[in-house]
Amino acid sequence: MPPSNPLPPKENALFKRILRCYEHKQYKNGLKFAKQILSNPKFAEHGETLAMKGLTLNCLGRKDEAYEYVRRGLRNDLKSPVCWHVYGLLQRSDKKYDEAIKCYRNALKWEKENIQILRDLSLLQIQMRDLEGYKDTRYQLFTLRPTQRASWIGFAMSYHLLGDYEMANSILDAFRTNQMKGPYDYEHSELLLYQNMVLAESGQYERALLHLHKFQSQISDKLSIKETSGEYYLKLKRFKEAEAVYEDLLKRNPENVMYYQKLIEAKQLSDPDEKVAFFDVYKKEYPKSIAPRRLQLTEARAQAFGRLVDEYLRHGLHKGIPPLFVDLRSLYADQSKADTIEKLVLQYIENLTKSGTFSSEPEEVKQPASALLWAYYFAAQHFDYKKDTDRALHYIDAAIEHTPTLIELFIVKGRIFKHAGDPVSAYQWLEEAQAMDTADRYVNSKCARYMLRAGHVKRAEDMCAKFTREGVPATENLNEMQCMWFQTEAAAAYQRLHQWGDALKKAHEVDRHFSEIMEDQFDFHSYCMRKMTLRSYVGLLRLEDVLRSHPFYFRCARVAIQVYLRLYTQPLQDAPQTAEPDTENLAPSELKKLRNKQRKAKRKAEQESALAAQVQVKREQHHKARQQQEQGDPEAPQLDELIPDKLARAEDPLQQAIKFLQPLRTLAADRIETHLMAFEIYFRKERPLLMLQSIKRAWRIDPLHHHVHSCLVRFRCWLDSALHSMNQSVAAVVQANCQQLFKDRTAIQMAEEYLEGPALRSQAGALWGSRELRRLAPSRAPHALRLATALHYADLSIQGCVEVLDSLREGDFGPCEEEIERYIEACRAKFPYAIAFKPAQPQTQPQSQTQPELNDNHVDDNVLQSTENAVSN
Amino acid sequence: MNIRCARPSDLMNMQHCNLLCLPENYQMKYYFYHGLSWPQLSYVAEDEKGHIVGYVLAKMEEDGEDNRHGHITSLAVKRSHRRLGLAQKLMNQASLAMVECFQAKYVSLHVRKSNRAALNLYTNSLGFKILEIEPKYYADGEDAYSMMRDLSAFASENKTDNQSDNLEIKSDSAIISQC
Repeated sequence: MPPSNPLPPKENALFKRILRCYEHKQYKNGLKFAKQILSNPKFAEHGETLAMKGLTLNCLGRKDEAYEYVRRGLRNDLKSPVCWHVYGLLQRSDKKYDEAIKCYRNALKWEKENIQILRDLSLLQIQMRDLEGYKDTRYQLFTLRPTQRASWIGFAMSYHLLGDYEMANSILDAFRTNQMKGPYDYEHSELLLYQNMVLAESGQYERALLHLHKFQSQISDKLSIKETSGEYYLKLKRFKEAEAVYEDLLKRNPENVMYYQKLIEAKQLSDPDEKVAFFDVYKKEYPKSIAPRRLQLTEARAQAFGRLVDEYLRHGLHKGIPPLFVDLRSLYADQSKADTIEKLVLQYIENLTKSGTFSSEPEEVKQPASALLWAYYFAAQHFDYKKDTDRALHYIDAAIEHTPTLIELFIVKGRIFKHAGDPVSAYQWLEEAQAMDTADRYVNSKCARYMLRAGHVKRAEDMCAKFTREGVPATENLNEMQCMWFQTEAAAAYQRLHQWGDALKKAHEVDRHFSEIMEDQFDFHSYCMRKMTLRSYVGLLRLEDVLRSHPFYFRCARVAIQVYLRLYTQPLQDAPQTAEPDTENLAPSELKKLRNKQRKAKRKAEQESALAAQVQVKREQHHKARQQQEQGDPEAPQLDELIPDKLARAEDPLQQAIKFLQPLRTLAADRIETHLMAFEIYFRKERPLLMLQSIKRAWRIDPLHHHVHSCLVRFRCWLDSALHSMNQSVAAVVQANCQQLFKDRTAIQMAEEYLEGPALRSQAGALWGSRELRRLAPSRAPHALRLATALHYADLSIQGCVEVLDSLREGDFGPCEEEIERYIEACRAKFPYAIAFKPAQPQTQPQSQTQPELNDNHVDDNVLQSTENAVSN
Repeated sequence: MNIRCARPSDLMNMQHCNLLCLPENYQMKYYFYHGLSWPQLSYVAEDEKGHIVGYVLAKMEEDGEDNRHGHITSLAVKRSHRRLGLAQKLMNQASLAMVECFQAKYVSLHVRKSNRAALNLYTNSLGFKILEIEPKYYADGEDAYSMMRDLSAFASENKTDNQSDNLEIKSDSAIISQC
C-alpha cells in the first residue's frame, strides 16, 4: 500500500535510510536524515518522518520528545500504518502492551497484510496471553507466508495453547512431511518431541507412544525418549515395558529418586517389606549411589529399620559426611525412627569415647578419631531438632573442643541459639564461622541472614558487601542481581524494627523483580521458535503464568500487606524528611526542569556505572550473552525511585495492599493466610461481599483456625451495626451465606464456644479466642487472661509466647503490669535462652511499646505480624 | 537427594542457590537463556522438600562444526550438602547430555586460581586438564584456569549404552566451584 502522504523520490530515499539506521541502531545518523527531510518547509510536517524521528529519539533515551514527535506525526497522518506502528512500538517500549496492541490494530486497518506489524502484534498477544487473538494473528501470518518455518510453528502452537491438540498435531504433521527434509538435526529432534508433548497432553498415550517409537532414530534427546515412554507405559498399565525403561534409566542416573518410585509402580510393589527388598537389589547394583540406600530407610520399619539405619549412620560417620543429619531429618516424622536413631548415636558416642569403636563388640575395627567428632555433630543437631537446647549445646561444645577448626560446628552452634530464641548469640557464632573462611559465600550469606534475623540490617549489608561488586553499595548490587532472599529477609527485619518505609521499599523491590522476570519472557517468544526448543518454551509460558506463586513473592507480599495495614490504622504523622530541595515552592515548570535534571543526572550516573561494569565484565567471555541483553537498554521505561518516606506515607495504603494481595488470591489460594490478609484489608475497606468471600475461603481451609475465628467474630459484630444500612440485595446475599458460618450464634456466643473447644488445644487459639472474648465482654477479663497466659499447650513456642506478650503489652487484656511480669518470668523458666524474656534487654522489643491505644482495629495489626521469624530455616 | 534434569520452573531456585554460594551471579534472563537454548544440559540436585541444593548450568559453544563443545557456566553445591559427590554426579549427567544431544567433543570451564578445592575436584575427580591461565578473568581481577575435559569416552559409552559404570572416577570430594 502506498503511503498516504508520499514523499518525492529524493526524500523517500532519505526516509528509507532513517528506517535502515533504526534497524541498525545508528540513531544519530537517523536523526540527521530526518532533519534533512524536515528542514525542507514543504515536508516539515511529514507525519511518517516525524514519527520515525520520535522513535529514534526514544532509543536515545529522550522519551518526552519521543512521544511529542510520534504523536505529532500521527496527528498529521492518521491513515498511515507506519505512524500507527511506530506509536505501537513506542508504547511497547514503555511496557504499555494494551495500548500498543490497539496501535498495531489501527496500523493493520490501513495495511492488512503487513508482516512486520502482524508479527509484532502476535508477540504482544502471546505476552498478554490473548490466546484467541494470537491464534487469529498466527493464522494470518501462516496464510501470508506459508513457506516460512516460523509460520507453521506459531500456527500450531496457537492451537496447542488453546487446548486444540488435534489441530495442533495436524499442523505439525503437515509441516513435518512437507517442509522438513533431512538431515535430521537437533531442531528436528526438538520439534518431534514437541509434537509428542502435544499428543501426550491430549491424553492419547497410545498414540504418543507410537509416535515416539516411529521417530526414535531421529531424536537425539535419548533421555527424553526414555523418560516419556516410561511415563506412557505406566499410564497404559504396560508394566513390563515400563519396568525395562526405568531399569535402563537407572543405569544412566542411579541418583534419580523418581526412577525408583516409577520402577516400584511398574513392579506393583505396595508392601513395605517388598520395597525394602527391592532397594537391596539396587544397593548391590549401584554400590556408590546414595539414593537406593536412603530411600530404603524411608520404607523400612521396626527392626529392619534399626539394622539399616545403623549401617547408614556408621558409614556416614566413618566417612565424615557432614550432611548426614540433614539427609536423615525427614525420617523424624516417625517418632519411633527418631528414637532408634537417638539410641544408636548415643551408643556410638559412648563406645567411641571408650574404645574408638561404634559398638562394644571386641573384634570391631577401630574408627578414625574423626568418627567421634561427627557423632557429636550429629547428636547436637539431633537434640536441636528436639528443641533440647542444653543437650544440643553440650554436644556441639564437645565437638568444638574435639576439633576447634571445623566451620560446620559453629554454624550449627549458631542455629541452636537461633532455635532457642537468641538471635544475637546466633549471629555472633555465625560471624565466628564466617571469619574462618572468608572466601566462602555460603557461610557469608548465612551469617548475613542471621544478622537480619537479629535486626542488624546495616551489619548484614556490610557482610554481603564482601561479595558484591566493588564501588557500588551492596544493596544496589544485590538488587541488580535480583537477590531476593536478602531483600525478603531485610523487608521482614525492617518490619520488626518498625521501619515501615524501608520494609516497603524492600518489598517493592522484590515485586519489581517479579515484574521484570515477566518481561524477560518477551524476547523468548521469537527466540524459541527459531531454536525449536518448544517444549521448554511452553514450560516457560506456564511458569510465567504462575510466577508470583513463588514463596519469595508470598513473603514480600505478606510484609507489604501487613505494613500497609498498620500504616492505615496508625498513619505516620510527621512530614517526610527529604534531602531534596524544597519542591513545594517551585513553579511547575521549574519543578519539571529540576526533575529532568535529576533524572538526567541519575541516568548519567547509571550509564557511567554501567559502562564501568561493562569494562569489567568484558573479560568474561561467558557473560557475553548477558551483556548483550543488558547493554543499557535506553528504551526501558524509567521506574519511579522507591523512597521509603514516600512509601510509608502512601495516600491509599489499603489500595497498595490490595495490589500485593491480588496475585496471591489466585496463585496462593491454598494458603489460609492469603484469605485472612484479604479479610483484614476488606474489613477496613468495609466491603461486605469481599469480606464474606475471604472468610469463606479461609473457613473452607480450616474452620477452627484462630484467625478465622477472630474474623468471624468481628464480621458478626460489624454486620450487627452495618447490616441495616446496607444495600438490600447485598444484605440478602450476606445473610444467606452467613448461616453456615454463624449458625445463628451471636458474636459472644461464638467467642465463648471457641474458648471451650479449639482454644484449649493451641496457644494461638487461646490467645486469639480469649482476646475476642475480652473485647466483647470486658467482665470476662480474668478468665481470658488466664487462658491466654497459660503455658501448658502442646504447641507452645517461643514465638507464640512473644505474641501473647505483645498482646498483653498492647493492652488487649486491659492494664495488667503484674501479669506481664509474671508471664515473662514463667516464659523465661520455659525458654531460658530466649532473648525476648530476658529482663531489661533493649533489643527484645523494637521501641514500639508506647502507650497502647485502645481502638477496635489495633488488635488485628499485631495479630498480622506473626510467624515470619518463627523458628524456620 | 535427587538428581535430575532442570526444568524452566527450577531456574529461579537455581539463581537463589547461586546467589547463596558463588560470587558470580546472573540475572534471571541469563538462566532462561540457558534453559531455553539447551534444555538438556542443566541439572539440579534437590532435597526431599524439593529445595535445590546444587546445580550445574551449562551451555554449548557453537563456534564451528568441528569444535563443538560444551561449557560449564556455573556449578554450585551448598556447603551444607558437600561430600555427597553431588558436583561430580551433576557434571557427569550434563556431560553425557552434551555428547548425546549436541555431539560435544569436550567440555570447558573456568575456575578461580585460588579455588584449590574446585581445582582438585576438576583435575582429580573429573579428568579436567588445565589448558591455560586467563589473566584477570574475574571481575575482581583474579586469574582463571581455563580447563577442559575430553568427552570421547562418553561418546563411545553412549554407543554401547552402558554409561554410568566406567565413568565414575574415584573421588570422595565434591566441592563448590565457580566457573
